[in-house]
Amino acid sequence: MTNPAVAVRGLTKIFPVPLHRQSIVAVRDLDLRIEPGEVYGLLGPNGSGKSTTLKIILGLVSPTGGRTEIFGRDSRLVESREAVGFLPENPYFYKYLTGEETLRFFGRLCGLRGVLLKNRINELLDLVGLSKARKRRLGTYSKGMLQRIGLAQALIHDPRLVVLDEPTAGVDPAGSREIRDLILDFKRRGITVLLSSHLLAQAQEICDRVGILADGVLVREGHLQELIAIENQTELVIADASPQLVNEIESFINRSNAKLIERRKSTTTLERLFIEATTKNHEARMSNEEGITKQK
Amino acid sequence: MQIEMTDRHYRAFSFARINAITFNTLTELTRLRVFYVLLVFALFLIGSSIFMAQFSFQQEFQILKDISLGAMSIFTSLLAIVATARLLPQDIEDRTVYTILAKPVPRFEYILGKIAGVLLLLAISTLVMGAAFLLILYAREQAAVHATVTHMSGAPREQVADAMRAIRSSAFNVDIFPGIIIIYLKACLLAALTLFVSTFASTNIFTIVVMAFIYFIGHLQATAREYWLHEHSSGVITRIFLAVVALLFPDLQAFNLVDDIVAGTAISMALFAKTAVLGTFYTTIYTLLAAFVFYGKEL
Ligand SMILES: Nc1ncnc2c1ncn2[C@@H]1O[C@H](COP(=O)(O)OP(=O)(O)OP(=O)(O)O)[C@@H](O)[C@H]1O
Ligand SMILES: [Mg+2]
Repeated sequence: MTNPAVAVRGLTKIFPVPLHRQSIVAVRDLDLRIEPGEVYGLLGPNGSGKSTTLKIILGLVSPTGGRTEIFGRDSRLVESREAVGFLPENPYFYKYLTGEETLRFFGRLCGLRGVLLKNRINELLDLVGLSKARKRRLGTYSKGMLQRIGLAQALIHDPRLVVLDEPTAGVDPAGSREIRDLILDFKRRGITVLLSSHLLAQAQEICDRVGILADGVLVREGHLQELIAIENQTELVIADASPQLVNEIESFINRSNAKLIERRKSTTTLERLFIEATTKNHEARMSNEEGITKQK
Repeated sequence: MQIEMTDRHYRAFSFARINAITFNTLTELTRLRVFYVLLVFALFLIGSSIFMAQFSFQQEFQILKDISLGAMSIFTSLLAIVATARLLPQDIEDRTVYTILAKPVPRFEYILGKIAGVLLLLAISTLVMGAAFLLILYAREQAAVHATVTHMSGAPREQVADAMRAIRSSAFNVDIFPGIIIIYLKACLLAALTLFVSTFASTNIFTIVVMAFIYFIGHLQATAREYWLHEHSSGVITRIFLAVVALLFPDLQAFNLVDDIVAGTAISMALFAKTAVLGTFYTTIYTLLAAFVFYGKEL
């Protein structure tokens, strides 16, 4: 029997509020089980307890009740963190370090050194597209770049599980698309992903399974496809159809037992439009950034 | 690569991890402007003592030693408090502590790395200031020798040799070294105590104010204790009370050997050893207390 990547049983977290009688229940009696290789999305509105749950799983915050395990090892044990990489919400790193130094620091904390570490740093900087900015201090990084160095940092020791707290918060659509592709790449390589988000469209694109938290309680959970599929409906998307053909299909449908619910022109998404419109500028900006590095 | 990495075994204690945190802390501190301001100021004080003394060379050396060792003592103490006070709160506020502790890093290693970084910084500044001080002392000694030789050009050789010996003994005495080490240990103690206070303080200002308070009480403590013992009988409760006070407010006056050095009094080996052990003991205790509080801290 293999251990689940993450097991949470009966987790409750109550934050006392100093000088007040009542206290905040951030998480209430939560059960989760995430299998190896899954991409699991923890969804919920602001303040629903997503970050708190992730922090408890990583042993950063102690639970009021219940237990959490990572690959069968209690979260309270330091060694449970060997196989996990974490990207906190709005991460800040040491501003005075360059991208490269940041990765070196975190690599050393994971016991890496020498050529192995050096290669790993190059590999990751390439992966997250920061090779050109490696010698720049993080103080000069944009939010998207910080998020990407955070992702690289989480991967430095080649973990089997990565925990990402709102990985695309504050990142532009092109950037969040890149992050999405990275996450799909983790999945292909068999890395388990646990992420939190309130951006539902994105979660829908990448998650195998989702759980929805509201006020610290898990209100829904299941495989994404099952949760959102409308069982008795089918969509057709047709290109270059003449109006006659469409009318014919429609009358064909009307003659059967089925019912046509909607007929409309396909639209592009705002996201795709945004990306098409900004890619040129984005490339120009990238080469600008390069220019800045060279000047320094 | 995959295999190599998953093959590594977790070790409960790792110098490599502590080293990484130590040198990162050192980098952080040396990029603080306040460090250079304080250091330049201390060096300036040490240097300026040259111009303050235009009396006999004995007086000149005394003033030079008094000012320089005094400046070193104040600078290292100030640096220890100011630099340490913001280390943990900053990391917690910036959430960098999450990223660090989400790696397989035990909390006490994190604390150990932080304090070691500060102690390293203090050691470097003490060395820099000590070197500046000894250089100036040496330069002044040479100048005095030179002046005396010119002045006494007609005098008999015996007399010149006597004068030289007088200059040398009043300029340089071996006790300067233990004196500097004790100054360093006092700063280490203050750094560890500051770290401890900052584990439960809510703001940097609080930590610094508490430390300023402890600093002054610590200098008065010995006198107060004598007075107390004089007034009250030394029962068990009194002793426990005094022990607690001594733990919270270390007797900083015990680390003040500058006056002895300036006066040229020899620092006995026993006194040095006793003070050094006391300093190391306090530093260790405070670091352990800091680690203990931090271990149970809700981040
Ligand atoms: N250290 C703390 N002390 C007191 N209350 C806290 C603390 N951390 C979180 N909370 C409370 O716990 C609840 C859950 O917070 P949490 O940060 O887990 O929410 P979240 O789902 O991550 O929200 P967001 O989407 O805004 O990031 C909130 O009501 C919050 O105010
Ligand atoms: Mg959150």
